[in-house]
Amino acid sequence: MKLHPMIAALRKHKAGVVLIALQIALTLAIVCNAIFIIGQRVERVGRPTGLDEGNLFVVSQQWVGAPSADTPDGVAKLDAMLKEDLATLRSLPGVASAAPINSLSLLNSTWAGALSTKPGTNFTDRGSNVRTAYYFTDEQVLPTLGLRLVAGRNFNAADVQNHGFREQFTYPVVIVTQALADKLYPKGDAVGKTIYVDGSSSPSTIVGVVARMQTPAVGWGDNFAWHATLVPVRLDANFTRVAVRAKPGQLEAAMKATAPALYQVNRLRVLDDDSVRPFTDIRAKAYRADVGMAVLMGVICLILIGVTAAGIVGLTSFWVGQRHRQIGVRRALGARRIDILHYFQMENLLIAGAGAVIGIVMAVGLNMWLMSRYEMDRLPVFYALIGVVAVLALGQCAVFVPARRASNVPPVVATRAA
Amino acid sequence: MLKMTHLSKVYRTEVVETYALRDFNINVKEGEFVAVTGPSGSGKTTFLTIAGLLETFTGGEYHLDGVEVSKLDDNARSKIRNEKIGFIFQAFNLIPDLNVFDNVEVPLRYRGMKSAERKQRIMEALERVGLASRAKHYPAELSGGQQQRVAIARALAGSPRLLLADEPTGNLDTQMARGVMELLEEIHREGATIVMVTHDPELAARAQRNVHIIDGQVVDLSEDPRFHAAHAAADQAHG
Repeated sequence: MKLHPMIAALRKHKAGVVLIALQIALTLAIVCNAIFIIGQRVERVGRPTGLDEGNLFVVSQQWVGAPSADTPDGVAKLDAMLKEDLATLRSLPGVASAAPINSLSLLNSTWAGALSTKPGTNFTDRGSNVRTAYYFTDEQVLPTLGLRLVAGRNFNAADVQNHGFREQFTYPVVIVTQALADKLYPKGDAVGKTIYVDGSSSPSTIVGVVARMQTPAVGWGDNFAWHATLVPVRLDANFTRVAVRAKPGQLEAAMKATAPALYQVNRLRVLDDDSVRPFTDIRAKAYRADVGMAVLMGVICLILIGVTAAGIVGLTSFWVGQRHRQIGVRRALGARRIDILHYFQMENLLIAGAGAVIGIVMAVGLNMWLMSRYEMDRLPVFYALIGVVAVLALGQCAVFVPARRASNVPPVVATRAA
Repeated sequence: MLKMTHLSKVYRTEVVETYALRDFNINVKEGEFVAVTGPSGSGKTTFLTIAGLLETFTGGEYHLDGVEVSKLDDNARSKIRNEKIGFIFQAFNLIPDLNVFDNVEVPLRYRGMKSAERKQRIMEALERVGLASRAKHYPAELSGGQQQRVAIARALAGSPRLLLADEPTGNLDTQMARGVMELLEEIHREGATIVMVTHDPELAARAQRNVHIIDGQVVDLSEDPRFHAAHAAADQAHG
């Protein structure tokens, strides 16, 4: 099909062509970036934490009239109360194991710091330090969270200390995630090596490496999201948090049994509806904004695509009506139905192609603006290409019905009075 | 060249059947210039649309260049229209968005002709109608007579076996009509078969043979005094 006469004909309908091409361009620019954002959000929401999420629940509670964590006596009492709770939870029939923990992946309550292979560094200096989130826990943490040990050993009871919440203390031994170990010791020999916590000069020994554990902060990017450090310390305070792993299929029963069992041990505590939460609930809450953003972007995309498709259908239908006689003349001069169909499809391809070229430029521009304002990643070429294919396909689908109607115009129309 | 036997065309609605053509018989030989006349509503245009395969017929037979066309599908009919028939319409039917060159090119493109051959044929056809210098003009920039000449060039460019003209001078003033008619006569002298539908008895008289249609049937003109009067007037006009 020769394009020159078609382009010449389109130049006679500049306003409609420009408007629809711009609409296609705008749709491409927005849809490309929106799908990229959706993809990123979906990928983020789908990231496994490394925990046995399906069987895990968290008990967060507050003591009433508890002793102060600022005195050694108070700390000792708080620790005894915590140990009693742990024993109670571990003895529940549906519970496989339990471990105290200050926070948990996706819980958005982070105790953050930095690790270095050198002593006495300025821990705000990112060049010599690696950012990490600390989990203070005990020797049952690995089976409780379902973490997979890939090197070294788990903590043992002798490693575990207890400290008051606001105490300064050292971390003689730690377990780190594989991502963090690789960052600190890229040769893969982290176990047994020394690290220094938060710029201190007190050495800590890496005794084990776990495959994966996500940090509590949902907002941490992929660079830091897997930099977790487990420290064998029970933190004593007037509030406690315990991670509990239920036996398979007994999550609900174990959760239900938790509050009555704990109240039976000590009634001076606050356990409300949110105190016993399954991990799935934590995950859903953590990613609510991401899911909401993805849905919003999806709806915007659908609306834009719908409006653009309607625009193409409307304009093509108008042109078919306007060129009714002209189509009849073409048919009279020997055009087959398929020639008329192809004519409108090709015409749409030209307009959509022009729109796609402008749209690519707009998509890159929009992406650069988003990068500068909202820390968005660079739009991969793949998304732009998918966007181009999508708008061209959208154009072809939208134009099909009016084009088919055009192809059914009979040749005898050419002889009828205008 | 064109032979219709007992052909009929019926338009049906829920309540009425209207015969546009009834027991219609005509035989146009190769190289003839036939004028088809008749009052409004007699079936002239219906005959032309069926002859040009723009419309199907209800009964009877129609052979075009030896081919019985009633069994042909839409694509085959399009091909015959494109390759064997040239159309000249009363309203010119040029495509306003295309210039003269591109308008003449339309049927050639549907034939899948190569670019060089298309260009040669277009320029030859435009030279023949005296409009080669207007190839880049748009229809709106031409007079009615010039537009009809472009339409004739478009019809001629494909070297059709049959030219069908529907009131070719109907939208033109006398001077332009005369020019177009002379062009048709010239084309006929060069061997083309032409069937022209017209209201104008004077134009009809300039054709080689006249066919008169009344109520969808061909009637014998030798018994119609108006025909003889028109012929006499045409002879006088041409000296």
